[in-house]
Amino acid sequence: MKKPLLALLLGATLLASCDPSTEITPVPTTSSVYILSEGQFQAGDGAVSAFDKTTKALSVDAFAAANGGTMLGDVVQDMGVVGTRGYICVNASNKVEVVSLPDFKRVKTIANIRQPRYFAATSATRGYVTSWRGPYTNYAAGKVMVLDLTTNTVIDSITVGRCPEQLTVLNNLLYVPNSYDNTVSVIDASTNKVTATVTVTTGPRTVVADQANSLWVLCSQPYGATSTPPAALVRFAPGSTTAQLTLPFASSGAAQLRISPSKTLLYYSYNGAEYQLSTTATALPTTPFIRRSFSGFGIDPRDNTIYAAVSTGYTTNGRFIRYPAAGGAAIDSFTVKVGPNGFAFY
Amino acid sequence: MASCALVAGLCVPLGARGQARPDTLTGRRHRLPEARVRAVRPERFAVGSQRLEIDSAALAQYRSGTAADVLGARLGLYIKNYGPGQLATLSLRGTSAQHTAVLWNGLNIALPTLGQNDLALLPISGNTQLSVQLGPAAALYGSGAVGGALVLRTEPDWRPGLRGSVQGDLGSFGLRGGSLEARTATAAVAVRIAASYRQAQNNYPYFVREPTGLVRYTMQNAALRHQWSISPDIAWRVGTAGELTASVWLTDADREIQQGVSVAGSNAREIDQSRRLVLGYRQATQHGGQWQVRGAWFEDIINYSDQGAVSNSRVRTTQSQAEYTAPLGQHASLRLGLEGQHFAAVVDGYGAGPITENRAAAFGLLRYDPRPTLRLSANVRQAALPAGLAPLTPTLGVEWDIFQPFSPDSAVLADRPGLTLKASAARTYRAPTLNERYWRPGGNPDLLAESGHGYEAGLRHRVAPGAHVVLETELTAFYQLVDNWVQWLPLGAGGSYSPRNLRQVRSQGLEASTTLRGHLGRYRAAARLAYSYTQTQKTQGVAVDADPVGLQLAYVPLHRANFTTDHNWRGWLGSATYTFTSYVYTNASASSFLPAVGLLTATLGRTVPLPGRTSLTLLLQSTNLLNRIYDSYPARPAPPQAYSVSLRFAYH
Repeated sequence: MKKPLLALLLGATLLASCDPSTEITPVPTTSSVYILSEGQFQAGDGAVSAFDKTTKALSVDAFAAANGGTMLGDVVQDMGVVGTRGYICVNASNKVEVVSLPDFKRVKTIANIRQPRYFAATSATRGYVTSWRGPYTNYAAGKVMVLDLTTNTVIDSITVGRCPEQLTVLNNLLYVPNSYDNTVSVIDASTNKVTATVTVTTGPRTVVADQANSLWVLCSQPYGATSTPPAALVRFAPGSTTAQLTLPFASSGAAQLRISPSKTLLYYSYNGAEYQLSTTATALPTTPFIRRSFSGFGIDPRDNTIYAAVSTGYTTNGRFIRYPAAGGAAIDSFTVKVGPNGFAFY
Repeated sequence: MASCALVAGLCVPLGARGQARPDTLTGRRHRLPEARVRAVRPERFAVGSQRLEIDSAALAQYRSGTAADVLGARLGLYIKNYGPGQLATLSLRGTSAQHTAVLWNGLNIALPTLGQNDLALLPISGNTQLSVQLGPAAALYGSGAVGGALVLRTEPDWRPGLRGSVQGDLGSFGLRGGSLEARTATAAVAVRIAASYRQAQNNYPYFVREPTGLVRYTMQNAALRHQWSISPDIAWRVGTAGELTASVWLTDADREIQQGVSVAGSNAREIDQSRRLVLGYRQATQHGGQWQVRGAWFEDIINYSDQGAVSNSRVRTTQSQAEYTAPLGQHASLRLGLEGQHFAAVVDGYGAGPITENRAAAFGLLRYDPRPTLRLSANVRQAALPAGLAPLTPTLGVEWDIFQPFSPDSAVLADRPGLTLKASAARTYRAPTLNERYWRPGGNPDLLAESGHGYEAGLRHRVAPGAHVVLETELTAFYQLVDNWVQWLPLGAGGSYSPRNLRQVRSQGLEASTTLRGHLGRYRAAARLAYSYTQTQKTQGVAVDADPVGLQLAYVPLHRANFTTDHNWRGWLGSATYTFTSYVYTNASASSFLPAVGLLTATLGRTVPLPGRTSLTLLLQSTNLLNRIYDSYPARPAPPQAYSVSLRFAYH
């Protein structure tokens, strides 16, 4: 009785010692699209997937593939592209990873940027990163960190409102939405000083600039807030500190404001669908552009192809889906890591 | 007195036959000096199901440790562990942390908020017995006994005289600890007090893969600042037929909360305090029956903070139980009982006001042995929860000695072989936790209890190949389903995560173990090899629940093997455990995993008798002796090879 059982147990143990195989797809070097996945919080498995839209090759974790298995970090939030450099805001790791493009090799880690959120550049040598301060729901005034993109160091910081989010640049001015307040801070990039504060609706998250040089802000529920005020899409003119047009939603939950490469069409997600409206519109659309809820949305400036991210919770891999510029039926879709939330194009 | 003897006569031999033997034989159980009003344990009604026990000699090696240290190493159970001294939860038969009921002196001590226990907060010193019942067992142990139950007990020691020990521990990475135990008994009163203390810096090195290669770091913010446990117990014999018991267990831990290694800037810290008090009275009746009442008061505090973000919770629980156990003729006994629980919770996540909740249950347990070689049990429990009745949970069990039954006295090494067939079927449930019902946002007061059912069948074989050698082998196959499995999904108001009864999960597998014990002169040895195969998958869900169906669940290793061996000779002790865990997935897509790992721990000890009934014991222990580099949880590197030295002075 004993010997066969022992043999069985030992055999099972040997068999069991094989781990699943892990194939690594090399990082594509041409016509790349980058898909950002937050990863599982605390697991450090946030990733940027690199997609070659010509060959449809997908390197699911480009940073690990290019850097000998190095993990990118915890909660990948945003990626900006300046020349041949990518700037990746890794939120819970309090760092910005600088990678060379298209090979995705690490150039430098800019550490000690607290809760980095979004990146924007005003020139080839100057970058800005929004940074939250204070603990969850007890936030303090945030910062915009000023980066020298030649040395990849922090050279200055500018105090703005609470929880500064997705900023934009227009005519050497930075527009920074303070998502835990109801304001947009305007920073002069030549002096790195706040020159004006625009009052909008509660919870401004994203600012974009349109073809007519108007600024659009999507305001929604502040992160972690228990109240759920209705969202609003707000337009204001440069130089003004008040709204020019406020388009209220029926409820909270609008997110992911994007603008087309031509800067004439706005996109946002709301109520389980994606909507599109013209920058000349004076009312919100009632018919969805795509009847699907996306956790990230991007438009390839090279061919206007739409890239939409689908996140299916915090424990399962997400996907991205490609759509033609005019919307309609999906072109194809690919599996990426947990929590895809955005795109960058190179 | 005659009735007491009858109760003892009815219960003790049957109970001894019904339960699995301890897993090692480095120590023999203490015998009662005389037949008294001995408690009839619920295990007596757990016929046909697997039970694992850690004997007192093995427990003694972990005296200033916690249940997390001992359960994985000695019993081969899978523990999800966030780091040394950090959150550690048990996964029995592929189920989750909330699917193990934890009982202390017969009362459920799961945190009512979370519906689970952190094993790292259960110091070994607080208990004298520790066993694990595998499989669904709500009829016996109530809510949460889905994958099984962890049963902790403080047993009065009626041996007369004073005994005691004091121990100091010193170990790697700032480990300092100590423990104290004293017990004494007269004919009427038995008293025990045990206390332990532990602290650890946990500033161990770990490696992170960087583009330039592996880079060494030192673990930050992972210290166990202190951990206390104090547990006085008293048992008082009232007349010849009654026994009054009072047990207190106070625990207090102050921990830094280790973050994933790529998370920066956290200085999270958590204070966990539990105060537990139980009073019990047991009385034998004229007719050979026995009734028992218990009342308990618990207070559980968890205060968490990180960089100014604070989350505090305090729950007070009162519990009461009453049960009557009666003999039914010569071959059966029946227990009928009632219990009630009241929770009062002040939790930051529930809003300003306190939340209260009541639960009640009634149960009936029957044990019937038509022949000494055939043992049967039939149990049932019905619980009433605020959102309605829980599923009725019956259990049926059978054990049949196919040939040559075991010796009735399990402490004697019988030289007769035996083969026992065992089987059980059970329904079970888990009541929704307070967090699931009241958390804001998302708490769902209409949540139903999870329900489950399971079957197991197996063989137990015992053979004595030599005069002083016994080989015992057990093989069990199990199958179980959990229905209405609670999952938090973004279905609440404003897309908030809210728990829903949406999932069905199936777990099935095999458990095999073989134990060899023997002695030759003054040399005693034991070895146990255990293997388990556990396949656990989601089998049904809804569209909004994106976790795929048909894949092995995260944090359930398919294979697990465990080898323990203990050797004693003339005051020397040598002990080793090797645990192999196959890879575990870390997400529901089965795409990320922690690799397979085999870990070795070892203990070397020497006891020197000293004059005046005293002795001195030196223990040298090593964990991760093979110095494996592995993560115990994603981005949570485990400590490398570590050592500790303990010195114990005992009076007996």
